[in-house]
Amino acid sequence: MVVSLSLGALVSLVCGLDRVAMLQIMISRPIVAAPLVALILGEPQIGLQIGVMVELLWLARLPVGAAVPPDDTQVAIASSVLAIILGRTLNASGIELLLLCLLIAIPLGKVGQYFDHYARQYNVRLIKQVDSALDRGSLVMAELQHLRGLTSFSLAAIGTYTVILLGGLLIVPPLWPLLQQSLSYSSAWVQLALPLVGIAVILGTINVSRAITLFCASFCMSFLLMWLV
Amino acid sequence: MCLFLYVLSLDVVGVAMAISRATRLHIWLRLFLLQASWNFERLQGIGFFYSLLPGLRKLYDKDKLLDVSRKYIGYFNTHVYLAPMVAGAVLKLEEEQASGTVDQTLEVDSFKDMVAAPYAAIGDALFWGGLRPLAAGVALFFAVKGILWAPLIFILMYNVVPTWFRTVFFVRGYRQGMQSVEFIQRHRLPDWAIHTKETAVVVLGGLSAFMVFSQLTQHHLPSWLGMLTLIPMVLLGLVARKGLSTLLLVFITVGTVFLIGLFWADVVSLISL
Repeated sequence: MVVSLSLGALVSLVCGLDRVAMLQIMISRPIVAAPLVALILGEPQIGLQIGVMVELLWLARLPVGAAVPPDDTQVAIASSVLAIILGRTLNASGIELLLLCLLIAIPLGKVGQYFDHYARQYNVRLIKQVDSALDRGSLVMAELQHLRGLTSFSLAAIGTYTVILLGGLLIVPPLWPLLQQSLSYSSAWVQLALPLVGIAVILGTINVSRAITLFCASFCMSFLLMWLV
Repeated sequence: MCLFLYVLSLDVVGVAMAISRATRLHIWLRLFLLQASWNFERLQGIGFFYSLLPGLRKLYDKDKLLDVSRKYIGYFNTHVYLAPMVAGAVLKLEEEQASGTVDQTLEVDSFKDMVAAPYAAIGDALFWGGLRPLAAGVALFFAVKGILWAPLIFILMYNVVPTWFRTVFFVRGYRQGMQSVEFIQRHRLPDWAIHTKETAVVVLGGLSAFMVFSQLTQHHLPSWLGMLTLIPMVLLGLVARKGLSTLLLVFITVGTVFLIGLFWADVVSLISL
């Protein structure tokens, strides 16, 4: 369990940095991050299912200027780790446990927004240190201050991962016996509903004239084709 | 990767290059850390200074370098994939200023401030608003089918365009300096952003239909029921447009589906009795 949690933390750190601080090659997207951590832990299909459900949820929240979107990266990683660990501990399999872990992780992911906000606030202190390094004539020190910013973002990523994981480990095991049966009636439909909600939000917020018309036309055409074939 | 390293190291015939290939490559690599110290006061300011520093070191002596550096640690914010173009152009202007051949009508930092905001707007619309949902939509087709290559498809599909921008636009910026703005204008990127968004909407429409159809087929339910999905989706979209949070929409939808599931299970058990 400790090994799984540590491996999860490592993925959380790398993907968390990709989100804002470095690279931006999108390994931080849930569709990549969740299967990646699940693959490392030996159950890639769990990660893929979580990736599908989380990927589109906050895709419409653009990281524009000073806006900080909810941390879907850590939600996807932590819920994958939770589902895998608790699946082994509670000896449970199937989509129900996965859904419960995800539904607990989604609101806890809001914490990530605060951590990310705090990291960016903390980095304001680096400005003074860069200024004073330049006053002292030390360009190397000024460069190092920039790289120190990576620490704040790393801590924010690990902090969010830890909060979601601890919350999940505390909440899911007592809830599981109570909700296991009830969730089984609707699990397949909830699994379908989550990406559809994400798509609806994108549809509502994407800045395209006739977006709804285009969407409905595409939906109907595809549906008709699949029905005919 | 080799291709990009090659492109980066290309020299331009007839254009004096004071900054060596190795230094330009160094700057290009540092641009991947542009946002390492992102903060609410100067946003990417320190990162832009950090990225340009290897080039500035080649152009100025120590005393002058400190003065020039102070100019770059101020506020700066643009789209992360278009920052290389600004960096390339600024480097060229600094080079001209250092050699005394600069056009004095526009200061380097004025140019930087002038292009940063429009480039940010173009990049946000094209990459975050258009390309990302498009690539995600395509990759999700594979992921829903349970194909484990889906994440790789997303990474490859998404990164082709940003890598091209990061590389070619950096080279263009350095070659053309202030004229690089015309290069951006010629490519009509705002139009491309709209086309990409429209394509993303179409792909997401197809993806929704695919997911709904698969689910109905799996549960042996009549296919026409799937068309009814459009009603709640459009309603949710309109509510989201009004500003209702995604978190709330998720819990309203999941709660509703959960309650319907429980109700349906009761109905089924009553019928079987």
